[in-house]
Amino acid sequence: MNLMSKDVDTGLTEKITVSNLKFFYGSTLALKNISLPLYERQVTAFIGPSGCGKSTLLRVLNRMYDLYPNQRAEGQVMFDGENVLDMKDLNLLRSRIGMVFQKPTPFPMTIYENIAFGIRLYERLPKSEVDGRVESALEKAALWKEVKDKLHSSGLSLSGGQQQRLCIARTVAIRPEVILFDEPCSALDPISTAKVEELIDELKNEFTIAIVTHNMQQAARVSQRTAFMYLGELVEFGVTQKLFTNPSDKRTQDYITGRFG
Amino acid sequence: MAFLADANSQATAAAAARRKVLEGLRITDQLFRGLTMSSAYFVLILLGAIFASLVIGGYLAFATFGFSFLTTEVWNPVTEQFGALAPIYGTIVTSFIAMLVAVPISIGIAVFLTELCPMALRRPIGIAIELLAGVPSIIYGIWGLFFFAPVIQRYVQPELIEAFKNVPVLNQLFAGPPYGIGILTSALILAMMVLPFITAVCRDVFETVPPVLKEAAYGMGWTTREVVRNVVIPYTRVGIIGGVMLGLGRALGETMAVTFVIGNAHRISGSILAPGTTISATIANEFTEAVGDVYTSSLIALGLILFFITFIVLALARLMLMRIEKKAGA
Repeated sequence: MNLMSKDVDTGLTEKITVSNLKFFYGSTLALKNISLPLYERQVTAFIGPSGCGKSTLLRVLNRMYDLYPNQRAEGQVMFDGENVLDMKDLNLLRSRIGMVFQKPTPFPMTIYENIAFGIRLYERLPKSEVDGRVESALEKAALWKEVKDKLHSSGLSLSGGQQQRLCIARTVAIRPEVILFDEPCSALDPISTAKVEELIDELKNEFTIAIVTHNMQQAARVSQRTAFMYLGELVEFGVTQKLFTNPSDKRTQDYITGRFG
Repeated sequence: MAFLADANSQATAAAAARRKVLEGLRITDQLFRGLTMSSAYFVLILLGAIFASLVIGGYLAFATFGFSFLTTEVWNPVTEQFGALAPIYGTIVTSFIAMLVAVPISIGIAVFLTELCPMALRRPIGIAIELLAGVPSIIYGIWGLFFFAPVIQRYVQPELIEAFKNVPVLNQLFAGPPYGIGILTSALILAMMVLPFITAVCRDVFETVPPVLKEAAYGMGWTTREVVRNVVIPYTRVGIIGGVMLGLGRALGETMAVTFVIGNAHRISGSILAPGTTISATIANEFTEAVGDVYTSSLIALGLILFFITFIVLALARLMLMRIEKKAGA
């Protein structure tokens, strides 16, 4: 059985396929019939003005909305042949679809524990192996050199940019298949932003990535596919380069040229 | 030029008017400042006055018995021999056991209310807890004496004695006979009394955890247990300790309910099933019948000791908080 559909045109595998997704905050419709694929090992960027539903869409993919009453989704989000919206084991889902947030959220524990805790939760490994996994996760997040001498001090002692990379390392360490980035650089300075962008580019060799961003240059720099959303609708979805140079919808053009938003 | 001069004089006039208004405001500001300051100093004066009257009142007891007042168990109004050890012991042990019981339950309730409870149940349970906090202590006392103590005597204590009779150390701790009233019963009543306070504080501080931090933890695939243990509790430990100290402060000083169910026996027993006494229970019980200066003074000296115990507990809590904060901030 072929669980994942191959896209005929692109030859890429659809890791996640969203179809006819509607999302409600109480009785307010926040997403109106969204359909789009997330291709495996590609970066898909979501752009659009505030309140357009891009973060909401991201929070559907790992069922984060389940933490709150009165929020519900309708439609289909196929992830490796299973509908995410029907899944019962959300812990498993979230270990397969990791998330990095707008603000750095180090847990109140040491740098080492921030990463090791997630690993040990799912796998019983000898300490040496956990150490190795922590190191490789920090390496992948380009943080190892900066923290290797203070692994046992608090994660809160790092700078904002370092904290965000720690959160990325922590997410990478549990080996998810998909990583969702919700405006990961909006609280960071330009240098840290550049580092995180570089990192996302690296990570796409291993993971499927979705990133919400307010920064259109960032979307253009890091993504292969871009989705432009407006007022809960998906206006345009396509190859990043095409969407930014030759958008097919007037609203997309207005937004990327700064006429509104 | 004329226009400029005109504007200048207008500005001067406006500034003068404003200055006048400000002067008026400054007086009320001074008044306000003095009022709030004296309110603050009033607390200090009050505390100092209480302390001073306790020292003066208890002086005779300390002068008569010296340091041994703190270390002797004898409490004999007939021979006028008084020692504070039994009430001190009872106060500390009942409060300690109460905390042992109340803290885990309180944290459990708070976790359930903030993390797991369906929205519809949240308010009713919350209100029930607040009502529990509002029950006067005399009611706990009566209920404890007429209902709770007999239940403990009939169903709990015999089981405890039976269960631990062959276990070394523990068989001393749970040695019979089952009186019903005693240290354990008082501690359990105290636990019920402080539970709503600790729960309310824990619930409030749990709600201060930023949602994004919890989302990040759930986003790692953690279950509620891990999120609570590794994010919510570490993040709020300062507040939790504050709540525990609030409860402990209340438990140490609680008088009426304890007086009803502790048995008021001036002795130290190895068994927590045995009757005992606490400082506040002793004072409440015996103040009206205290004849003779030494007796009265001994009771006041007990009050002073309670004052010190509470002070030390609060100081230790502060110290603990400072050390935790230092560790977390490093």
